[in-house]
Amino acid sequence: MDDELDLWAARRAPRLLAQAEAQAVAVLRDALVKAARREGRDDPMPAPPDRPAAAPLPTGEIVWAYCVVRAQDAPPVEIEGVAGGRVERIEAHGLAALVGRVPAAHFTAEPLREHLNDLAWLEEVARAHEAVLQQAFAAATIVPLRLCTLYESDEGVRRMLDHERAMLIDALDRLQGLQEWGVKVIVDPERLAHAAGEASPQAATYEQELAQRTGGGAYMLRRRLERHVRERADALASDVAAAVHARLQDWAVDAVARPAQNRELSGHDGEMLLNAAYLVEAQRVDGLHALADELEDDHAHLGARIELTGPWPPFNFVEGAIG
Amino acid sequence: VTVSDQQLPTRSSSPLPGRPEAQANLADILERVLDKGIVIAGDIQINLLDIELLTIKLRLLIASVERAREMGINWWESDPSLQNLGPGHGADDDRLERENRELRDRLERIERQLGSGDG
Repeated sequence: MDDELDLWAARRAPRLLAQAEAQAVAVLRDALVKAARREGRDDPMPAPPDRPAAAPLPTGEIVWAYCVVRAQDAPPVEIEGVAGGRVERIEAHGLAALVGRVPAAHFTAEPLREHLNDLAWLEEVARAHEAVLQQAFAAATIVPLRLCTLYESDEGVRRMLDHERAMLIDALDRLQGLQEWGVKVIVDPERLAHAAGEASPQAATYEQELAQRTGGGAYMLRRRLERHVRERADALASDVAAAVHARLQDWAVDAVARPAQNRELSGHDGEMLLNAAYLVEAQRVDGLHALADELEDDHAHLGARIELTGPWPPFNFVEGAIG
Repeated sequence: VTVSDQQLPTRSSSPLPGRPEAQANLADILERVLDKGIVIAGDIQINLLDIELLTIKLRLLIASVERAREMGINWWESDPSLQNLGPGHGADDDRLERENRELRDRLERIERQLGSGDG
């Protein structure tokens, strides 16, 4: 009788657990989506589709700003920028902004709001912006501006260079000779779990017990073992990420750890344990690379891959909103 | 010299021999140009941390939420762009926490009931 009860329970358990987990995830997702909708709702909710199209599309061109450099190093940029525009420069007080002209019909606030929700549009603009920054950065120290820094006229850009002069010069001095490098640590989740289980005496105890059980008791014990291994694997993941970050940080002037990337966008296989950026002196980059290779070997038992990207303009090291 | 992002050195420490450098990963670019880089107010007021960007951010986020949650990572709860939720948000948060707690309790009860058979 007890055995039958156990079996009945064991059969029901996976479904119940799955239901409970699905509910928890749904609640979290709802809350995030709700938060997103409420964010910044000073003006009404996303405009209704049948909103009167009263305002005519603005015409002419406005100015898209890419980055700021010292006027004397203003690098020539030969590629086309955002919206296919030529990259020009506007100088004021020893500083220069690299800018381009973009059609007002697509880049004023209203149309921009719509475009920014279109991932294909966003990708094109983001890549164009980034490509210009890369080319400028290959030849000079730059302060990268965030996407969609827009001015109605050249005069607006000059005013900005004037107002922000002290901060911009300070940033240019600080960033001289430095590069941003991205480092990601990706491991094989199965090998991570395996390594975590191997290292846990508790897991070994569970497994010995498990060998002597059957039915519902065995089922529950197996679940307990799985949960234990998952917890140990998560702890191991944090340890590995922290250890790798600490070692790489020694080579950097500054460092930031960022949230793991979304698999759909990045296309990575495995578990991203670390997604970090390091600000590195140009002459120390080789050392960073050698260290990354060494760290990858150290974690070969986890199927670890350490991916370096760069050099990037110092996006992650010009924190702060101005104006 | 012409540099395009195709030539952006996206170096893996174990590159496949003879394979051309891959185009920079979109996630790498977006997390930089949308989230980082200096913010200077232009003439056109478009606040990227507004509804629109948040929608994008959510899309970027949502798939990793479950796993992150499992690992106890909840950085987005301290991300100001996801935090500035205005009045009523606290109550919602409490509700979420309560529901989570209830679910967890239920789960434990079920597991205890199931487990008591072998004791």
